[in-house]
Amino acid sequence: MAEGNLIKPDLEFVKRIRNSPGGESLKKCYQCATCSVVCNVTPEDKPFPRKEMLHAQWGLKEKLFANPDIWLCNQCSDCTAYCPRGAKPGEVLGAVRKLSIEHYAFPSIMGKMVGDPKYLWFLLAVPVVIFLVVLGYMGHIGIPDGEIIYAEKFVPVPAIDAIFISAALFAALGFFAGVTRYWRDLKSGVEISTNKWQKKVKGPLPIIIINTIVAFMTHKRFRKCEVTRDRADAHLFVFLGFAGLAITTTWAIVYLYGMHLESPYPWNDPMKILGSISALSLLYGIVQIITNRKKNAETAGAGGYFDWLFIMTILTIVVTGILSYALRLADIAVLAYPVYFIHLVIVFFLFAYAPFSKMAHMVYRTTALVFAKYSGREDKKYN
Amino acid sequence: MEKKIGVYICSGCEIGSGLDIEKLSGIATKEYKVPVCKVHRALCGEEGVGVIKNDIEAEGINTIVITACSPRVKYDVFDFGPDKIVERVNLREQVVWSHDWTKQVEVKTKDEEGNEVVNVETRPNDDTQMLAEDYIRMGIVKAQKGALPEPFIESITKNILVIGGGITGLTAAIEAANTGYDVTIVEREQELGGYAAKLRMQIPTSAPYDQLEPTVVQSKIQEAMDHSRITVKTNTEIARISGSPGMFDVSFKPAGTKSVWDVQPKKKEEEGEEKPEEEAKTEEEPVELPADQIKCEDILASDPDAERFGAVVVAAGWRPADPSEFEHLGYGKFTNVVTNVQMEEIAVRGKITRPSDGRQAKSVAFIQSPGVDGDDSDFPFCSSVTSMISLKQAKYVREDDPDAKAFILYKHMRTPGHYENFYRNIQDDEGIFLTRGEVTVIEEDSAKNLTIEVDDTILGEKITINVDMVVLATGMVPATKFEPVINLAYRQGPEFKDLELFDGYSDSNYICFPYETRRTGIYAAGCVRQTMTIGESIEDATGAALKAIQCLESANRGMAVHPRSGDISYPEFFFQRCTQCKRCTEECPFGALDDDEKGTPKPNPTRCRRCGTCMGACPERIISFKNYHIDMIGSMVKAVEVPDEDEEKYRIIAFVCENDAYPALDMAGLNHLKYSADVRFINVRCLGSVNTIWIADAMSQGIDGVLLIGCKYGDDYQCHFVKGSELCNRRMENVAETLGKLRLEPERVQQVQFSIDEYKNIPAVINKFMETMESVGFNPMKGF
Repeated sequence: MAEGNLIKPDLEFVKRIRNSPGGESLKKCYQCATCSVVCNVTPEDKPFPRKEMLHAQWGLKEKLFANPDIWLCNQCSDCTAYCPRGAKPGEVLGAVRKLSIEHYAFPSIMGKMVGDPKYLWFLLAVPVVIFLVVLGYMGHIGIPDGEIIYAEKFVPVPAIDAIFISAALFAALGFFAGVTRYWRDLKSGVEISTNKWQKKVKGPLPIIIINTIVAFMTHKRFRKCEVTRDRADAHLFVFLGFAGLAITTTWAIVYLYGMHLESPYPWNDPMKILGSISALSLLYGIVQIITNRKKNAETAGAGGYFDWLFIMTILTIVVTGILSYALRLADIAVLAYPVYFIHLVIVFFLFAYAPFSKMAHMVYRTTALVFAKYSGREDKKYN
Repeated sequence: MEKKIGVYICSGCEIGSGLDIEKLSGIATKEYKVPVCKVHRALCGEEGVGVIKNDIEAEGINTIVITACSPRVKYDVFDFGPDKIVERVNLREQVVWSHDWTKQVEVKTKDEEGNEVVNVETRPNDDTQMLAEDYIRMGIVKAQKGALPEPFIESITKNILVIGGGITGLTAAIEAANTGYDVTIVEREQELGGYAAKLRMQIPTSAPYDQLEPTVVQSKIQEAMDHSRITVKTNTEIARISGSPGMFDVSFKPAGTKSVWDVQPKKKEEEGEEKPEEEAKTEEEPVELPADQIKCEDILASDPDAERFGAVVVAAGWRPADPSEFEHLGYGKFTNVVTNVQMEEIAVRGKITRPSDGRQAKSVAFIQSPGVDGDDSDFPFCSSVTSMISLKQAKYVREDDPDAKAFILYKHMRTPGHYENFYRNIQDDEGIFLTRGEVTVIEEDSAKNLTIEVDDTILGEKITINVDMVVLATGMVPATKFEPVINLAYRQGPEFKDLELFDGYSDSNYICFPYETRRTGIYAAGCVRQTMTIGESIEDATGAALKAIQCLESANRGMAVHPRSGDISYPEFFFQRCTQCKRCTEECPFGALDDDEKGTPKPNPTRCRRCGTCMGACPERIISFKNYHIDMIGSMVKAVEVPDEDEEKYRIIAFVCENDAYPALDMAGLNHLKYSADVRFINVRCLGSVNTIWIADAMSQGIDGVLLIGCKYGDDYQCHFVKGSELCNRRMENVAETLGKLRLEPERVQQVQFSIDEYKNIPAVINKFMETMESVGFNPMKGF
């Protein structure tokens, strides 16, 4: 009897990649491996993205997903720029990553909805309704008079905490379910079991995780990109902005519940300064990302709905956040409250849907990097 | 014609600087006593040509020896009409540009005090001068010995016969007919169109070469049927083609029957030759008897019912190869394993369905290579065309069902030129899966579904796939592999020569002269020549039609077609001295001669390509051309002045092929590459025309060595006359033996294979031979 690995190409999956933004060029690849040669971030052994292109062409979904490599790709687009056939491996992998997020989404319906512009209004309506219900319950519908105090006169802090903690729990649950399944697939994946690059485990897992995160802080890997070299800086600003805002939030919790200090805080409060700098960093970073995307559209592709939804979410958050602060100081209540409302809605959008949006890359990519280190899959050494 | 020779020496292009022109004139006027000898500083200029024309007018000069540049240049300038003999002596490329004009000589003098002083003085190089003088001698002798050729003209017919009514034959017929020639298409099948008419769609023939096209053959069939100059004979085969270009007599017969006019394969000929003449009269009509009961007519017998044609285009096409030999693929064992030809038959009928149960195929695998055990080869007779047929048929599968899958498993995927666009378009289909791979086994289950195991895939592993059907990309075998097709009534046999050497394809100078075959006036086109797509076949047919027309328009003027296009000389035989040795008949690379029962050759001048191989072969030396014959070259050899032994100068004769070696010498001169001045070159039509008597002539008059520079021979020959240099080599082996008997060193005669692009090696080749000469020493027969 035939002893080879039975291959059953999933034609529907090929069609889905081809119908995803960035995946259109998939079938142009003719396996010359120029992409894998020019890639600066691929491991030397079984390099990507050539094999991913092949697996995608053949509709071998499991091989693509149960493999850290699609997440080791930073979409530098070096491969796309050098491809002699006009296939865009960088973009195709982007499309595959989107499908991977969708594949691991829990609940899975969320994956489909976040990735599809049809459901955008519904997804936005969820936080809008929640906040309107709270405002209605509080009797705060309408523009309050007097000094602008968002917490007291609009959405009270306990309500915010309750809503966002729920959203965060929902997201955490989603991430937990997704990553658990992903890790299981990675470990049991065909690639692993037959792979000669699976070497001795390098230290205990927690240390690998810490090492991965520390290495990530420097964006060293990201800087190996050539065609889209400027992306690393922009991404770093966004990342640091988020990190700063996370610290700010924790700090605020300490103020509120530890020291019982009520907002608003004066501008020269150290926490406030950190928050403001973080917001500006985020703003600068996201604007750079948008500029870079426009600039690199020729070589790296303009990106699709999935990418832009994420970018616009962050942009809206940072712009409305800064505006809320500015309008409060300027005492323009008629604008300040609606902008703040939008801010809350979009923050909810970002948090609650994180495991299903491009935000999920943060978790899946880290998981993949950890797994790569864990399984001894190293980057090219000569860079 | 009484010759009046004029010698014209050009002193331009450095000839005057490197040589003593006065001494050269002296050779002509004093040694050879030519009536007119003039020197001009630019003979090719208006004034120079005027001098010659004036002498033709005023002095009655009719034989002109021009000692100037190579005969390969300015031939149009020095054309004084068909009634003048013009001989060119190459003093430029092969003398002054390739040899030193001066040499350093040590001169001993005594100074005032009586001491001996050695001074180095620069003197004219007498070796170069002697070379030029010998060339003038040889040129004048050649002019004296040559005669004006007169063309051999017979009344010819300009009809063209096209064998095969497929896309190639139809196109050739239509193209030739549109040009104004009457054409007959002979087709064995009942219908015209061949395989091109049995397709669902064809591979693209026009820009952007990426989409399947509806077949064009139907419109071609219609056009041929409606054409007033085209006659179509279906259900018909060729019993024999006798005669020669311009005068081919073709005997037709109903397809699948035997005829007395069939040509027997060569081996049987000898036995069945007893009484053919008498029986021919009683068996007029084709007789349906087993082959062994038919006495076929001799090739020289003439069929009164034969039709006459001037030229033939062979477009007999291809036959599918049988893949049964590859047992692991299950062809013939599993119903759902088919060939690409069978697949096309299914596709023409409708949706792609399985032969076993008529169910529509949801997944089909196309196998390009049988390869097992790492064997890289495709199916026999596979090509880019079979690659593209698989791409095309994969598209059928997808068009019939958007959810169906087509797998293409290949060792090689060849889509040359514009067809790359076709490949891209097919590859872009998401339901077509391509991988390199080696199919190790195919298995069938109870439902007749097939499992294929493929090793060494680009997926990096051994895989198995389940499919409904398997299509084998079997090759397209030229019709000439199975039968002679042309059935020539030629003494050398009914088929093209050396078919086995080229897997059944007819022998030709494939790159340079694609339509040529080893049979003059018979041109191959389409898949009988090389596997082709329909688009390529159409183009090929047009080219072959043009060659057929060229043949007609040359034969009618007594001109050679190829490669000595326009040559009107032809071999003449002095039959009184013929010993019927048949060597000429057997050695002619083109089967031009048919000897009769006694063995006397029957020349067919329009079949001849004028290479002179027969002249080189003939031991009695009875074959000659008006302007190229044994005596002429022999006299040129004898015209070379051989210095006495004490002068310590070697003399070498080099016979050089005009096709590659002679132009290479010119190029060496053009690049001022220097080589020994002891070698005298004689331009020959082909090394095949070199008669061993010339070597004997050279040796007996004290020439130290003979060098033969010709084309590469063997399976990858470059000889323009296919066999010339090979035959020469064989003859030289005999010469070496003879030399040995005469106590002469066999190294004195050597043949070198040379190609035009190696011109930089000319000095090396000559110097190496000179070294050999120095090691064997002077010819001991010098001075006898």
